[in-house]
Amino acid sequence: MLRLDATRIVAELAGEAPIIGGVGNNTFDLIPFDRPRNFYMWNSMGMASSIGLGLALVRPDLRVIVLDGDGSILMNLGSLATERASGVANLVHVIWDNGGWEITGAQPAGSPFGVDLEAVARGCGFARTSTVDDLDAFRRVFAEAISDTRAWAIVGKVDPGDSPYRPSKNCTRLRDRFRTSLEPEGDGPG
Amino acid sequence: MTDVFSIKRSGRHEAASAPAWARTLLDVFRAEDIHNLVFLPDTVMGRLLALAESDTYFRLVGVHREEEAVGILTGMFMGGQRGAMLIQSSGLGNALNALGSLAMAYRIPFPLLVSLRGELGEFNPAQLQMGRAVPGCLDALNIRHVTLRSETDLETIVSGALKTCYTAEEPFGLLLSAQLTGWKPEK
Repeated sequence: MLRLDATRIVAELAGEAPIIGGVGNNTFDLIPFDRPRNFYMWNSMGMASSIGLGLALVRPDLRVIVLDGDGSILMNLGSLATERASGVANLVHVIWDNGGWEITGAQPAGSPFGVDLEAVARGCGFARTSTVDDLDAFRRVFAEAISDTRAWAIVGKVDPGDSPYRPSKNCTRLRDRFRTSLEPEGDGPG
Repeated sequence: MTDVFSIKRSGRHEAASAPAWARTLLDVFRAEDIHNLVFLPDTVMGRLLALAESDTYFRLVGVHREEEAVGILTGMFMGGQRGAMLIQSSGLGNALNALGSLAMAYRIPFPLLVSLRGELGEFNPAQLQMGRAVPGCLDALNIRHVTLRSETDLETIVSGALKTCYTAEEPFGLLLSAQLTGWKPEK
């Protein structure tokens, strides 16, 4: 499964849901599906899950999608416990598992050593979890997650490979566009 | 599944014994629409949290490592709500990259309350270094800060700090000295 193809499915099914793109390839592969309700991180590795949680807490009317990387969530595993402790139900936390730190040269981390991120999410109390490794399964599981009322963690097994796409490098512009899109009088889903 | 909303977040601390400085801080927070308290507790902050938890205006969100709070406050800001970060000096080190590369780079405003260990009345040798490093770490990141030492002018100083914080659209450090909050009796 290519991360770009799976990200296309996320974009197709997201509807009004805001999407938090984790640092690096997780954000980069979201660029072809650009919309105001996409937020792109530069640096602050590991923070995607926390940003998604903060947004989910203050906007219970929305499903909030996090596109995380395996390396990123391994840096902030405690945030999975925080998600549960905070009681959010409107979070769809997708973790792209390509077996390591792709962007720095494909050094292995996590799953090549037997780390099971779905089991970690389940252990942290996520209501629903799944691991999928092909596009049909991902579409089916993600469609269920986005229309559900419970917190989901989905581990998507993706092939290695860097993304060629890049967002704007103006961080405050990225902030303002995303924030405005979430205002009641804002641009709405884009 | 556990009903997480029924669990008291401020532990053993009781609102009735909350110190005056905690009341002042929470009053100023409320006046500035700061509704969310994102925390990793220490004993000092625990006393403030108990008072906050007795007031339905405030939402308490506990984190397991301090940099999570920076991300959570970023998400809350994007969603249109304000919050404060409540940590101890030793935890500032766990949050530095997120403060620099998320809160400062993307200009996310929030008060950053840091309970200072290692300054006055410290018994623990391992608290000395990080406690002393707090102002320098914030200076290195160009994060404004004031140290709160007494009840005198506390409301004025905190109100003014918050106003500047939201004008600048950056975090603003409010450092709680043991001169204000007291220190532990342990030798």
